[in-house]
Amino acid sequence: MRLINTVLFAACLAVMFTIPLWADQGILFIAGLVLVEMVFALSWNLLFGFTGLASFGHAAFFAIGAYLCGYALRADIGAPFLLLILAAGVAGALAAVLTGIVLLRRTTGIHLAIFTLALAEILRILVGYSTALGREDGLASIPRPSLELGFASFDLASGEAYYWFLCIAASVIVGFLWLICHGPFGRILVSIRQDPERTTFMGINVPAYRLAAFTISGATSGMAGALYAPWAQIVTPESAHWIHSTQPMLASLLGGAQSFWGPVVGTVLFSIINYSTRNLVGLAELVIGVVLLVIVLAAPSGVVGLVHELRRRLTARVSHAGPGAEGKAGSKGKFVQEAA
Amino acid sequence: MTTLLNVDNVYKSYGSLPVLKGISLTVEEKETFAIIGPNGAGKTTLFRVMTGEVLSERGRITYADHDVTGMSAHDRVQLGMGRTFQVARVFPEFSVEENIIVAIEARLRSRSESSLPWYRTRPRSSVREEAGALLQDLDLWSKKATEAKFLSHGDKKRLELGIALAGKPQILMLDEPTAGMSPSDRIATTELIIRLRAANAMTVVMTEHDMDVIFGLANRILVMNQGEMIAIGTIDEVRANPIVREVYLGKEMYGADG
Repeated sequence: MRLINTVLFAACLAVMFTIPLWADQGILFIAGLVLVEMVFALSWNLLFGFTGLASFGHAAFFAIGAYLCGYALRADIGAPFLLLILAAGVAGALAAVLTGIVLLRRTTGIHLAIFTLALAEILRILVGYSTALGREDGLASIPRPSLELGFASFDLASGEAYYWFLCIAASVIVGFLWLICHGPFGRILVSIRQDPERTTFMGINVPAYRLAAFTISGATSGMAGALYAPWAQIVTPESAHWIHSTQPMLASLLGGAQSFWGPVVGTVLFSIINYSTRNLVGLAELVIGVVLLVIVLAAPSGVVGLVHELRRRLTARVSHAGPGAEGKAGSKGKFVQEAA
Repeated sequence: MTTLLNVDNVYKSYGSLPVLKGISLTVEEKETFAIIGPNGAGKTTLFRVMTGEVLSERGRITYADHDVTGMSAHDRVQLGMGRTFQVARVFPEFSVEENIIVAIEARLRSRSESSLPWYRTRPRSSVREEAGALLQDLDLWSKKATEAKFLSHGDKKRLELGIALAGKPQILMLDEPTAGMSPSDRIATTELIIRLRAANAMTVVMTEHDMDVIFGLANRILVMNQGEMIAIGTIDEVRANPIVREVYLGKEMYGADG
């Protein structure tokens, strides 16, 4: 099983890195968007799938990062691109800390969802009024930067070069989130999602952990926005729109919110659906609607959960094992694996 | 004996409904203190005031020489309080072993006993060994890989006790430890608590309805009715108290006394 996973993972990485070699410009552009949205979806799911907090206005953090990076690149302030990405992360984190301190104190459930939604909409409308940020038209013709690493310099102006940079940057952020989710900190977040009161009585300051998760999520969402701006070369208030906030939610639900890789699978599947129905107006929405309906009714743990279930049944049949304790020990959210 | 927990003249009301009307008690080190009373007497509220889930309106609570009156629940846990719930609360998606591991790791983190690197995804072996020993002690070792949601009621109660013990509490607060159990399970649980209490040199505070469990475990008892203290003392003192007989223990106790 481990071998299959490794091979599958390597194959996905290979496809991701070789896209510029075999795909046309249109597909390359969509692949770049997938990488950005993937980071965004994983950031959102750190809150939802791991900590049990639903933010309905996460696009705000994304937009903060995108506008910061886009504005700085257009103004040509001479800051290194990596520093801009970090600054976008800090800005996202700050925005998350401020909203988190106010909101998480009292609200966690539906109230948090509505409050975040409202704050994001306020931000979108304010940006739309700002002349410096291009009002409703946004910031257009954002130049792609070059990457100064001290010992070497890479020009990211071409689509291929920036795509490969996106691959590496997204991998670094995803790797960071993976470690966060699977380490002792992530285990406490999962405990909080399952039972905050029980977690409190293990000596854990639950509000502080929720705020920490909110901050990390805001930071990586901001970084996703910073990666997006030079790729699309335009940032509009639409990036803070609530419809954009629903993207990571739909991707997580489709892929499986309680699995780390669920949002990634969901983002890829949504893009494939969108791309293959691009010539038929409205069909993408219809297909996505039907797929979501089926997923929610038939496989509440998403595509990844469905695959796990199928695998479990297959291996159970192969080894002729009865439905004993092993059968009950599911694979989701496991951090203690028994040696086979 | 030294006093571990001191509750001094505590008041609490929900809206205009007074629930605790001046409760005072002391719990000595290594004793087992039980709170009894009919439904609605305020036992659970008193319990929650002591654990820090709700704060009292008046009065003072000290624990091991710390004034904890306004202290949050998790800070009290870090000082050495552990707690179980009336309806067992475990982490349903974690396996039995994982339930104990997160509790041990939470203790290590919150009390800074040792550093857990954030990037280390596998629980360290010392944590797994500690969890294994605890599970064997609780007779849950054979079920360690089972997801906790599939456990029976009694096993869940024992696992929750394990989660509380993983925090190495100095004082263990048990909210109706045998609620909803069969008579044989009650006896087994009582014996388990006696064993764990001795092995860990713990102080125990509990609420309970079952008199056999109380008499089997407690050194001293507080009897409550409608938010007031009716009696406090050793089992014999409380048994002999005529008001207690009237209000709570009823005819059964007359019989028991001979």
